Amino acid sequence: MIKVENLTKQFGTFTAVNKVSFEVEKGEIFGLLGENGAGKTTTLRMLATMLKPTSGTASMAGFDIISQPEKVRTKIGILFGGETGLYDRLTCEENIAYFGMLNDMSRDRINDRIKALAKAFGMEEYIRKRAGKLSKGMKQKVAFARAIIHDPDIMLFDEPTSGLDVSAIKDVHDFIRICKNEGKTIVFSSHTMSEVEKLCDKIAIINKGELIEKGKVKEIKQKYGCDSLEDIFIQLVGDKNES
Amino acid sequence: MNLRHIWIVFSKEVKDIARDKKTIITSIIVPMVIIPLLSILAGGSVQNMQRDIEQNITIALTKESNTPEIRELITEDIIADFPNIKLVDVEDPIGAINNSEVRAVLDIDRDYKEKLEQGKTFVIEIIYDESHTKSLGSVSIISNAINEFKKRVVANRLEKMGLDDEIIKPVKIEETNIANDARAGLSMLSMILPVLLIILLSAGGMALATDLVAGEKERNTFEPLLTTKAGRSSILIGKYLTVALFSFVSAIASILGMVLGYFIDPKAMTLGTGAQFSGFSISGTAILLILIISVLMGMTFAGIQIALSTYAKSFREAQTYLSFLIIIAMIPGYATILMQPNEIPLYMYVVPILNTISAFKTVLGVNVNYTCLAIALTSSVAYVIISLRIAISLFNKERVLFRS
Repeated sequence: MIKVENLTKQFGTFTAVNKVSFEVEKGEIFGLLGENGAGKTTTLRMLATMLKPTSGTASMAGFDIISQPEKVRTKIGILFGGETGLYDRLTCEENIAYFGMLNDMSRDRINDRIKALAKAFGMEEYIRKRAGKLSKGMKQKVAFARAIIHDPDIMLFDEPTSGLDVSAIKDVHDFIRICKNEGKTIVFSSHTMSEVEKLCDKIAIINKGELIEKGKVKEIKQKYGCDSLEDIFIQLVGDKNES
Repeated sequence: MNLRHIWIVFSKEVKDIARDKKTIITSIIVPMVIIPLLSILAGGSVQNMQRDIEQNITIALTKESNTPEIRELITEDIIADFPNIKLVDVEDPIGAINNSEVRAVLDIDRDYKEKLEQGKTFVIEIIYDESHTKSLGSVSIISNAINEFKKRVVANRLEKMGLDDEIIKPVKIEETNIANDARAGLSMLSMILPVLLIILLSAGGMALATDLVAGEKERNTFEPLLTTKAGRSSILIGKYLTVALFSFVSAIASILGMVLGYFIDPKAMTLGTGAQFSGFSISGTAILLILIISVLMGMTFAGIQIALSTYAKSFREAQTYLSFLIIIAMIPGYATILMQPNEIPLYMYVVPILNTISAFKTVLGVNVNYTCLAIALTSSVAYVIISLRIAISLFNKERVLFRS
């Protein structure tokens, strides 16, 4: 479903992402693990066609991110960390519908999807209220619905739990599981080992723009003879930082 | 570029802004109320000041001149026909000007009577303070009173010599003003309206342009938007059209406010000049052309504003850039405020901002020059395209869009 080949991004002389390659099968959750500034967001931005790679490419649901960015965008949904990023003066329904319309969905299809998503996320009571008047938790659910209004095959999560409280983090984790149950392919970036270990089928550790390890969590643990992903991460990142 | 996506972004932004009470009140309602109110207050204050300057002129004499003879000269001969001028007694005449007790102090030659009788010249010195508006404003009225006295003395002397006063008036100047009230009004409009329009158009879309790109980046709504099927150019043009529409609506609201103020108190709205803004006619074609040129100017500003907002790293940085834009836009407006339509050189119809100002002045002049208007229209179209291209180019540059 996702095939990343030698993806590289340079900003001037600085190489943010260097020849990153990985593959994610349909329905898998792929975790991109790295410290702040390791290149996770830049990688996801390239996969989301927001940034153009300096070299290398990626195929998302069969479409190339360089030559077919518009088609790629119809197949992906994103949820980035921090603020939920809703338009406060629009109702929840309008917020979600706006993104549906920009993804060329028909009005009927948008209405059906909003109805189904409102039910699935328990938003029926406040779906017609303005987003600015909602609690943080309610807003987060609207952001979930907005991300999948067009029923994308691939979901990109960039540190989605950053700055959230415990219950909000649980909501995000539940949402990721919902996406997986719907058969969506997920790329999930984080610097929190526990959530990556809990949610991901496969992981890649990224440091200073380079992938330094990838594989199934169990296989990586076996390879390094260590049961703690955190220790493996410190060992790998520490080695690289020293060298 | 996709017209449907442009329309979706545009209608969403218009809906969003229409629900923003703060922006609607400050950009549309307030100009409609505050502009006439402020103008009436300012105009009223100017009128009161003029009335006060003309009606309550107090003068004093220097200690050296303050003799019964000179007092008599002043009261009986100089200001007798000027009930608005009063001679008062003060301890410290110069200090009295500073304290605004008197407007001016006169110093008159003590031997004036002998000089007057001998047919010689004597000096009346008017001492005033240029930094005091009322003191300065009174000088011409006092001089007028002295001149009237001077004319009577001259007439007396000529009569004694058996000469007609025409001997000292070889030429009589007669002035005929061919401008009627309407043309005088148009001339005043040609000074005020272009600069006002430029300021309104450059300021009207400022808040919105800041919010629609820099604000959206800060609120984290930008990245989800960029991952929709809509291309960046479509998103940008949708936002750009919203800013252009809003700056125009805001400018119209302000102009409506002024028109309203003019109907309530015409004299106050023209700062006491009483200029007439009626009774003139401008051809429909010229009005249509100037309207199109104004819309194009608004669109050019919208393009620059969106470009600056895209370039800005933060909401605050965008506000700083856009405030500078208003100042820059004001410079050509004020630099040409006194320029008359027939004095405009051809190159001004090509220079940005100046082209709109010149087009306005031409339309409000006596003879509308359609060739110049066509040049202004063409250059305006070019600037819209250039500003939009710059905005699109910046919006598509990831190093600009994601710089932080």
